[in-house]
Amino acid sequence: MDIIVAQSLLEPNAGLIFYKVIVFALLLFVLGKYAWKPIVNALSEREETIDASLRKAEQALEEARQTGAKNEEARREAEENARRVLQDARTAAERVRAEELEKTRARIRQMQEQAQAEIEREKERALEELRDEVAGLAIRTAEQILEETLDADRHRKMVDRFIEQLPRN
Amino acid sequence: MEPTALAFLAAGIGAGLVAIGAGIGIGNLAGPAMEASARQPEVAGHIRLTMIIAAALLEGVALFGMIICLLLTLKA
Amino acid sequence: MALNANIRYRQIVLLLAAGCVFLGPRLAHAADEEGKLDAVAHTADGVYLDFAPFGAVELPRIFLRSDPWGLDVFPSTRSALLSERYVMEHKEDGHAEILHGEALRDAIDHHEHLYAKPKPAQGTLVLDLSITRHLVFGVLAALIVVAIFLGLARRYRRPEDRVAAPRGIFQNMFEALVIFVRDEIAKPCVGPRYREFLPFLLTAFMFILCANLMGLAPYLGAATSNVAVTFTLAAFTFVAGQRKGTKAYWTHLFWPPGVPLPVKFILAPIELVSLIAKHFALALRLFANMMSGSLLILSLIGIIFTINVLFGSLAAALVAPVGVAFTLFITFIKIAVAFIHAFVFTLLSAIFFGMALEEDEHHEEETSAEEQPALAG
Repeated sequence: MDIIVAQSLLEPNAGLIFYKVIVFALLLFVLGKYAWKPIVNALSEREETIDASLRKAEQALEEARQTGAKNEEARREAEENARRVLQDARTAAERVRAEELEKTRARIRQMQEQAQAEIEREKERALEELRDEVAGLAIRTAEQILEETLDADRHRKMVDRFIEQLPRN
Repeated sequence: MEPTALAFLAAGIGAGLVAIGAGIGIGNLAGPAMEASARQPEVAGHIRLTMIIAAALLEGVALFGMIICLLLTLKA
Repeated sequence: MALNANIRYRQIVLLLAAGCVFLGPRLAHAADEEGKLDAVAHTADGVYLDFAPFGAVELPRIFLRSDPWGLDVFPSTRSALLSERYVMEHKEDGHAEILHGEALRDAIDHHEHLYAKPKPAQGTLVLDLSITRHLVFGVLAALIVVAIFLGLARRYRRPEDRVAAPRGIFQNMFEALVIFVRDEIAKPCVGPRYREFLPFLLTAFMFILCANLMGLAPYLGAATSNVAVTFTLAAFTFVAGQRKGTKAYWTHLFWPPGVPLPVKFILAPIELVSLIAKHFALALRLFANMMSGSLLILSLIGIIFTINVLFGSLAAALVAPVGVAFTLFITFIKIAVAFIHAFVFTLLSAIFFGMALEEDEHHEEETSAEEQPALAG
């Protein structure tokens, strides 16, 4: 009896192998078709969903980061622009001011020159008038003095000579 | 001595040798594994897992010997 | 803190009670009527279900015989023998005699027929297709696995459930097992084509795990502690792996590259033998671990009976607590062993699949050549 039992412990039983093959093949088929397929598919589907959401979140984060960077860039650019505009304005103002100044200065100079010329002309005219006046006066005086001795032409010559001898200014 | 007695003796000695072999093997395995997991506690889980697998394989070999001993006692 | 301690004590008491429940039937059926311990008979396959102390249930016997050909079905061994169409031998002092009439009835009363190998009175026995204990346990394990995972599959029927987080203990527990097999066994060991082998690996893992754990339950046994069952499983692994073998794999097997011609003829048989031996070892490892566990538990219990016979009941009573404590310890180890060997079997199967799928890339061959001997041992 012991021998038979011991043999059954270590000797494969052909009948059992036969049944076991059927049972395990059936198990493989049933589980493979009705259990593992939906379970594994569902698991991978879920993982894909999670992966996709993660990727999406990462993408959104990346986008936000990019947008932030872009905003920063735009802000910096705007600041730069403003600074440049300000600088330009300042330079332009400076230039305009300088130009104005220059113009004003030129006009003043021109006015001064005009005034100078006017004065010169006035002076010339005054001198001319004065000369004529003096000549007339001298002639009249000389006429009165030399009434009979000299004719009008000799008088004129004498007066002209006198005038020539007068100082210029 | 009669053959049956010899077979039993052989089975007993064999079982002892198998136990010694398996003991040495698992000792050799577990000692460095402990050391390694003490040095790098962050991979202790992985070390433990591989250690258990290796121990199971080792035990499998020891049990092959055990089956021979069993055959000796049962068929004697 | 006090509450925690309370709970812990309760847990320990529960654990001990559970241990007693687990051990009770073993204690009862470890010794039969004559007080004789029969560890081997309880570990080995049998044609009856033992419900000691309530008796045993005989399983149907089915025989395929030739001369004349026929399939004989009996509800039990007892009826097969009493019908006189099948006979049993009684071996004593080297010579066997066929039992008849009164002697047969006497043997049946002593339950000798449960361990006998009945032979047909006419013709020869071709195949003993009897339903055995381990077949019942195996089918039960298969049914449990089917029930669990068909139940789990139902959780994913609705599309919104497929993407939702798992709910409840049931779904979390078994989904974790499925993911464990997929991520720890199939993906790293099989490689990119792991989806083809995932159903097989999952089925093998769950079936072996369930069968192993059933070995710890009272009145049940581990189907995997039967060498026929594990050989069938290994044969499935073999077929599943070779079926998908790549050209590079077959070339490597029968026409090893990179060696001179005469060596090829020596190497090819060696490779073939090692291929068979690997699967043989796969079967034997699972069987030996499962069988030795139950044998060990019964033997530890048996120490009490042996000491009872040798040194009297007082010594036995003194030894009994030690034996029971050791048995409890071994039972806990067996829980771990049940998981580990389900894992190891599946892992090695996956590694064999990975080898069968290898492509002709040299760097891959090198790495796998380093790993394989260590794991296939």
